[in-house]
Amino acid sequence: MGAHEYTIFGRSSRKMRLGLSAAAMFAVLATAGTVWPAQATDLKVAIASDALTLDPIASSDNASIWTELLIFDQLVRPSKSGTKLEPGLAEKWTVSPDGLEYTFTLRDAKFANGEAVTADDVVYSLQRAAGEKSDWARFFKPITKYTVIDAKTIKFNLDKPFTPLLNNLAMFSASILPKKEVEAKGADFFQAPFGSGPFTVKTWNHGEKIVLSKNPNYWQAGKPAVDEAEIQVIAEDNSRVLKLKAGEVDAIVGIPFNQVSQLKSDPDLNVGVADVFRIELVQLNTTKKPFDDERVRQALNYAVDKDAIVKGVLRGNGKAAATALPIMAYHNEELKPYPHDVAKAKALLKEAGYENGFKASMLVQSGDVTYRQVASALQSNLKDIGVDLQLQGIESSSQFSTTKSGNYEMSLSYASSDTIDPDQIIGFTSINPERANAFHTQWKDDRVNALYEQERQTLDGPERGAMFKEMEQRVHDGAPFIFLYHQGMPYASRKNVEGFEVLPTSNYRLEDVVMK
Amino acid sequence: MVLLKFTFGRLLQLVPVLLGITLIAFLLLRVLPGDPATLILGSRGTAEDIARLTTQLGLDRPLWQQYLEFLGDMLRGSFGQSIAYHTAVGPLILERLWTTLALVGFSTVLAVVMTIPFALMAALHKGGVVDHAIKVFFVVMMSMPAFWLGVLLVLLLSIAFPIFPVSGLGEGMLDGLYHLFLPAFIIALGTAALTIRSLRSSLIDVLKADYIDTALAKGLRARRVLLAHVLRNSLISTISVLGVHTSWVIGGTVVIEAVFAIPGLGYLLLSSIAARDYPMVQGLTVTFAVLVVMINLITDIAYAAADPRVKLS
Repeated sequence: MGAHEYTIFGRSSRKMRLGLSAAAMFAVLATAGTVWPAQATDLKVAIASDALTLDPIASSDNASIWTELLIFDQLVRPSKSGTKLEPGLAEKWTVSPDGLEYTFTLRDAKFANGEAVTADDVVYSLQRAAGEKSDWARFFKPITKYTVIDAKTIKFNLDKPFTPLLNNLAMFSASILPKKEVEAKGADFFQAPFGSGPFTVKTWNHGEKIVLSKNPNYWQAGKPAVDEAEIQVIAEDNSRVLKLKAGEVDAIVGIPFNQVSQLKSDPDLNVGVADVFRIELVQLNTTKKPFDDERVRQALNYAVDKDAIVKGVLRGNGKAAATALPIMAYHNEELKPYPHDVAKAKALLKEAGYENGFKASMLVQSGDVTYRQVASALQSNLKDIGVDLQLQGIESSSQFSTTKSGNYEMSLSYASSDTIDPDQIIGFTSINPERANAFHTQWKDDRVNALYEQERQTLDGPERGAMFKEMEQRVHDGAPFIFLYHQGMPYASRKNVEGFEVLPTSNYRLEDVVMK
Repeated sequence: MVLLKFTFGRLLQLVPVLLGITLIAFLLLRVLPGDPATLILGSRGTAEDIARLTTQLGLDRPLWQQYLEFLGDMLRGSFGQSIAYHTAVGPLILERLWTTLALVGFSTVLAVVMTIPFALMAALHKGGVVDHAIKVFFVVMMSMPAFWLGVLLVLLLSIAFPIFPVSGLGEGMLDGLYHLFLPAFIIALGTAALTIRSLRSSLIDVLKADYIDTALAKGLRARRVLLAHVLRNSLISTISVLGVHTSWVIGGTVVIEAVFAIPGLGYLLLSSIAARDYPMVQGLTVTFAVLVVMINLITDIAYAAADPRVKLS
């Protein structure tokens, strides 16, 4: 049996065989098409996800926030180092000594359509941000009265002092919008919005890219240096890196940690790692045994070798953490991370009556490679003190609601700050009840709660700083979390791109980028 | 006329199918843990914020009311307001529909272009080196994860020998096809692995048939017999395989979409489920259902064209 049955086709038509082979070759190659030369480049940046909306009061995902910060201005903005506020649309401002009255003077700025930014636009935008439809209302509600003094001057009054306010006004949600346009167009405005910022939206192909073009009326003379900035969505980490290597994009944000050092050795690329305001930790449910015992929680902290995780998993792109706050303003420099001390951890467990260890489960985001590696490191660390840690995979979207419901023992997670003032994140991770019952640990410290209230009514300065430092110390001692590390955010650009950097606030200022 | 009637009948059948599918999608989503308001607000939301958003999204109303509302939105063509995107679902889906259709269509064409010559070669050399080589090659291609194959091909054809772009969609029709070639090719390899095997075995069967001997005996040229008789008669079963596989490809290209940064429907579905974007998932489910039915329809029509015994009725 076999081929000979059909030799009539096989033998008689050599031409046909040739034809068939040619067709097969065609199948593989021909559709390859023509190769055409790369187009003249404007700045192209690839990030991991698409902006969901460009309405500042409805945004909470990074991609939306980063893009909004390129389109809109705020009254004030964080400095590049993330350590202080600098003038934005407001050229200068004063705060009354009792902290109840804020006066802002606007600079001569225009929206992209050529109309001047006026005090009316400011009032409209902030009232909208504090309004019913806003996801961010509570950040601005402390302002109880707005007074327009003239087109360029505006006064806010508060009922009681609220120190974080100035920082909140630097947030994307406090973006100043062109009142007339938003009122006329409604929700449609945010499909192709413009403000007084360096760029305006030219086109937005959902899920693919947002093309921004230069705002010709931008108030910072000579900026932006590029005519267009294209924000591409490349969800897959490896693809983003390949795209940069091939020169199809000029800069990328987010690089797998195990590729950072290899990219650093590439002569065509500049690689940076931003110290963003972020903290990775393990939430401990202090309502459940044995996590109700402070000694047990401290023992877990002593048992974990954070430096080894930073070295092994993050490949050195991070720092061991001492507390539940990112390294930012008022950070307590004297505080050191719990050292890796197995003997001490065992002694604490013994004291608490858990000499033989215990079993515990930990929620871990499934599908996240870094978290999975960290989780197995924790598993082996805790085994050394007799704690049998079982990992429980969870979809990222239900992790928050699961810990919120209190139905967990331990959960590997993170927190990040939207502002450069520690008030927001300490309120989230350490205050109970406030917003999240100390990030769902249910840990409660009356002194920390009292300091939080006080800090919010104390003017910026060393006195307020001391309050944060004390809170940090108490959180460190109370250990409602296993404090893990501050993870850097790696980014890279091609050598011909100058001035591309990711700021501690995680966003980037493309108006400062120059293409050589 | 027959075709029109046939198509209309098929579309009519779609109505109960769609109702069933939307009902299942609707209920399944609501059984999943995780609620959209909490997801949207994340770590920033207070209890009041969440309650306010829940009301705003209409999620505090009874399920049957929400379902009826969804049906109403569907009839109006808007499919409701996306929870994550804060805008109507319909246009968002439409924007990506073309991308997905282009990818699926392109890969199907490539698959067909690969299938016919390779299957003929394999069948004519049944049991020979060529046959085995083709079999081994496509089995290997099919068993390689699309993700892995994608990255390998990009490394080879975009980085080492920069022939194709790494990813993206390009501008315009031609540039678009050029950008879509690698992803479409990888999908086509998977499809072709199936269709080549199917076509090869039916070719072998048909080659044995008496009427082929008759055709050759009456002096027809081998080429003509092969193309007009053997191939045409063998294609019928392969068309069904291709149809079924293409329906699967429509929603099953998520990995390829991720690797090549193609904003298609599959990836949108995945992220919408993760975000519990109920209206979006419902809209996508309906879209997928319609597409699958359309592909079955096209398959049936192609079937009838290839086999005169099959009547559209």
